[in-house]
Amino acid sequence: MLWLVALFPLFAAVIVHASPMQRRPALGATGCGVLLVTLLLTVFAGLEGWVGRFAWSTPLQFEVVLTSRSVVMALLVPVIALPVLAYAAAHERLQGLNRLVSLLLLFVGAMLLLVIAADLITLLIGWELVGACSWALIGHERQRVSHAASARYAFVMTRFGDLGLFVAAMVVFRDTGTFAFAALETLGGPQQTILVAGIVLSAAAKSGQLPFAPWLFRAMDGPTSVSALLHSATMVAAGAYLLIRLEPILAQMPWFGPASIGIGLATALAGGLTALLQPHAKKLLAASTSAHYGLMFVAVGAGYPEIALLHLVAHAVFKALLFLSAGIAGRQAVSFSLTEMGFGRVLPITAVATAVGALALAGIPPLGAAWTKEMMVTAAGHFSPWLAFAVMLAGALSAAYAMRFVYSAYGPSANDSSATSRTTETIATGSLAATSLALALLWLPGIQQALGGWFATPFPAPPAWETIGSLLAVGVGLYAGLLIARLHPALGASGALASCADWLGLPFAIDRLIGRPIHALAQRCAGFDDAIIDGAVRRIGAGGLFTARVAYRGLDRLADGLPEGANRWFALSGDDSRRFQTGLSHHYLAFMAAGAVVLAIILFVGR
Amino acid sequence: MLTATILIPLLGALAFSFLRLNEPAYRWLACGVGSAPLLLLAAVWLGFDTSTDAPAFQYVVDYPWIPALGIGWRMGVDGIALVVATMSALLFVAAIAWPAETRGRAREYYAWFLFLEAVSLGVFLTLDLALFYVFFDLSLVGLFFLIGRWGHGDAERAAIKFFVYTFAGSLAILLAIIGLVLATDPLTFDMRTLIAEQALAGMDLRATLVLVGFVVGFGIKTPFVPLHTWLPPAHVNAPGPASAVLAGVLLKMGAYGLIRIPYSMLSETFARYAFALAVLAVISILWGALVSMAQRDLKRRIAYTSVNHMGYVLLGIAAAATIGGEQAARQMALTGATVEMVAHGLITGALFLICGAFWQRTGDYDLEQYGGLSQVAPNLTRFTVLASFASLGLPGLAGFVAELQIFVGAFSVYPWLAAIALLGILITAALFLQMLQQLFFGELPADRKSFGDLARVEIGVLAILALLIVVIGIYPNWLLTPISSATALLTAGF
Repeated sequence: MLWLVALFPLFAAVIVHASPMQRRPALGATGCGVLLVTLLLTVFAGLEGWVGRFAWSTPLQFEVVLTSRSVVMALLVPVIALPVLAYAAAHERLQGLNRLVSLLLLFVGAMLLLVIAADLITLLIGWELVGACSWALIGHERQRVSHAASARYAFVMTRFGDLGLFVAAMVVFRDTGTFAFAALETLGGPQQTILVAGIVLSAAAKSGQLPFAPWLFRAMDGPTSVSALLHSATMVAAGAYLLIRLEPILAQMPWFGPASIGIGLATALAGGLTALLQPHAKKLLAASTSAHYGLMFVAVGAGYPEIALLHLVAHAVFKALLFLSAGIAGRQAVSFSLTEMGFGRVLPITAVATAVGALALAGIPPLGAAWTKEMMVTAAGHFSPWLAFAVMLAGALSAAYAMRFVYSAYGPSANDSSATSRTTETIATGSLAATSLALALLWLPGIQQALGGWFATPFPAPPAWETIGSLLAVGVGLYAGLLIARLHPALGASGALASCADWLGLPFAIDRLIGRPIHALAQRCAGFDDAIIDGAVRRIGAGGLFTARVAYRGLDRLADGLPEGANRWFALSGDDSRRFQTGLSHHYLAFMAAGAVVLAIILFVGR
Repeated sequence: MLTATILIPLLGALAFSFLRLNEPAYRWLACGVGSAPLLLLAAVWLGFDTSTDAPAFQYVVDYPWIPALGIGWRMGVDGIALVVATMSALLFVAAIAWPAETRGRAREYYAWFLFLEAVSLGVFLTLDLALFYVFFDLSLVGLFFLIGRWGHGDAERAAIKFFVYTFAGSLAILLAIIGLVLATDPLTFDMRTLIAEQALAGMDLRATLVLVGFVVGFGIKTPFVPLHTWLPPAHVNAPGPASAVLAGVLLKMGAYGLIRIPYSMLSETFARYAFALAVLAVISILWGALVSMAQRDLKRRIAYTSVNHMGYVLLGIAAAATIGGEQAARQMALTGATVEMVAHGLITGALFLICGAFWQRTGDYDLEQYGGLSQVAPNLTRFTVLASFASLGLPGLAGFVAELQIFVGAFSVYPWLAAIALLGILITAALFLQMLQQLFFGELPADRKSFGDLARVEIGVLAILALLIVVIGIYPNWLLTPISSATALLTAGF
């Protein structure tokens, strides 16, 4: 029965796409209705303890369950998708809107499938479907060939990560004969190393961690609503979710913690810097996404997957909100350049909502995102005080770019164009802002205890110095961000800083070191295939023809002037060959002769 | 029943010589006659016993023909033959129904198609090695004419290259058959006896030579690198439906032949060289994918992905044959290889039919000449996207069911080779997405404004193939059950 949670939006997507629905209200209402039912199904499934089993064959068995961690994620996906889909129906271009809404529903269904998966194949199915949806969504505007190129870039890069899951599945089956998550714990030795490495690789690629982060920038070519969902509750979230879901198994490997922390911290710091230098509103948010998932990787690596999960939830709410408001500002400015924006005066309601999101991004108490961030500092501190410092630094960067974003996009600029936001857009951003505010409840000790009970693990108490240090860092960050926004609004738009703003030159390196060499290799192979492999065949063919011609000339001379000579010659050779016929070989010769006759007829008729 | 499956289209082809009808009538008549084998095979499928104590070959027919040589009209199917033959029959109906440019020779066109259907099904359904060889060769004849007469570009040259090259492979097979059969006493071409006797077991040099004959012959047909270069020109110049049958059905004869003959009849020798074949498979996978990525010609690109996909099939077969692997894993590899044959038939069949649609509209396969077609041909876009994603192995579609099992099964036997082969699905992803981008995205070139979307019949044909691709991707149980009944026996021997 639990399958229904994922299958319902998947089938609904197909039906919506097959229907002639084209108008905004109809599409928006239908899409939201589907998501609402999905949400109710998930709640019901959680309360009733639904599970699901299905088999293709004896070895290929699938299973889905809801655990205390996965149920949180399963609820988050439709909750975030609801306002995003409503916004999409109101905001995006009417042309292709039906396709967009269907794909968003498909996206949600595929994500839910991977969330409830309890075996590697179900996970892999959802995982790759999410990737395919993101391809279609990023390339949604089909007239733009560059968008299709970006979609391909994103798909291929994340699929490289998917190979990790393939390898993991292969290793597990080899040793246990099943794919179930329950079997993963029984692995040992090098197989366990390969398993964990494969999962970490997949997760890092999906969550836009280094060195895969550049695909998230290219993904910005998709419509804003797509970015909002892709960065918050689907696709990118899948990587961190996978680590959170499988943390008990992964943590058995002693190197998993340091590896996850290493990847996460590097991405958090590099992403923070990249975001701060970005003058493009959506790319700023995209780099920030990588950075925040990096922090979640740190928390999981330090042994606190529940904290990472809570931050994932808080991040989903504020990041979806910020993308939606970036989309509204982008439409007014007809550009996503921060220097073209500044709609605080003309769009006051959206500005307030955006400010709530930005404060959450910056980690300002009493917003819930601030508590989850402080918890991540504490988690890091349990690993090493230095790590706590590093996370504080990442927090400072986060505060700085949050400030730069909100001040530039919705600051008190002199921009007085007659800007408007549509009612549905306002409702979508408003409800996300309200949810972000409601998460402030996380600061209440009672709620914290309840959550600790739910996850069956208490939250660590932060030492005072960490809280103070962290808040100081946030303050410094906010000030720095404000300075940049006021004094250097175009920072990173040109010059050396512009290349730094593009993931510190990483995409360039990937293109030169991997992309181009592979294409060159393909060209070389094609040339070799044509000239050498087929060339050899052609030479054999030419040799055959030459021999035939020489032989024919000889035959010709013989046959010339002897019209019946040929006949006699054939008869003679027939007689000759008959002499050789002894026993069974006769039949085989007959076979060959029949084949030769067929060949001769064909060559003759086919001319 | 199986005899009728072959004779109905064969007699239909003959009857066409005496009929004088207009072109649509030929097509619908051919469609009707061509569907008969599909219906018969569907009935066979429904009656096929998949329980563990069922005989390996069912619906057996055995009439003596040339008793002195042990040749007989022997028909029968196991699970593998059944699914591959049924897929082939379906693809033939699709190819016949596809609106074709018959150049005023509709009668001959459809007659050759029916002839080709009869002999192709014969290859999969016969249990007699001599008949197998005859059908195998006659299939070349049928396709030779379809390419040579109704092809475009340098069609005759491509047809002759196709014929001579693959005929050379046939000769290798003939020699190998002779070498194999002569070891039986009393002489017989009965496959069941040959499988049971393992006549060449223990004869090292001779068994190896016979194996080489089969591998070269079937390797050309499948094709494996480096024996594949006949395939791209044959595809490029063939009419769309003939291309679909070439990729969907004729290539399967190579892989099917490997399983049916050397794998089953020379188990010991085949197992000894399984690793070499697996290496060859990985080379085919990577080479096919890489070379495909560099092709600008739509059809050449898809032709090379066939090399890639048939490499997966070979990898599955080689892994299944290896001594020492877990039986469950080897069975999974062989099941995967068979599913890949079916999936590749449907997917690549659909892709080549789509290529035919391109050629009929523009006479151009150059990818660079296209762009933005999603604006004028939304249905074509849908089907092409679906088929491309199926071909790159997206879960939920048929290719994934096959490739997953091949990889997982092969990994248990050859971990490194399977891991390297995984790169193949990454390259195919890149090359198909690049192709889709080039065809359907971006600005529509001015001279493509009049590009027409798919017609009703085309939509109908592609919809059936697409539906099967999706159904196999989501619920393949009905397909896996008969296949597993055969692969369980085929992998139990070691």
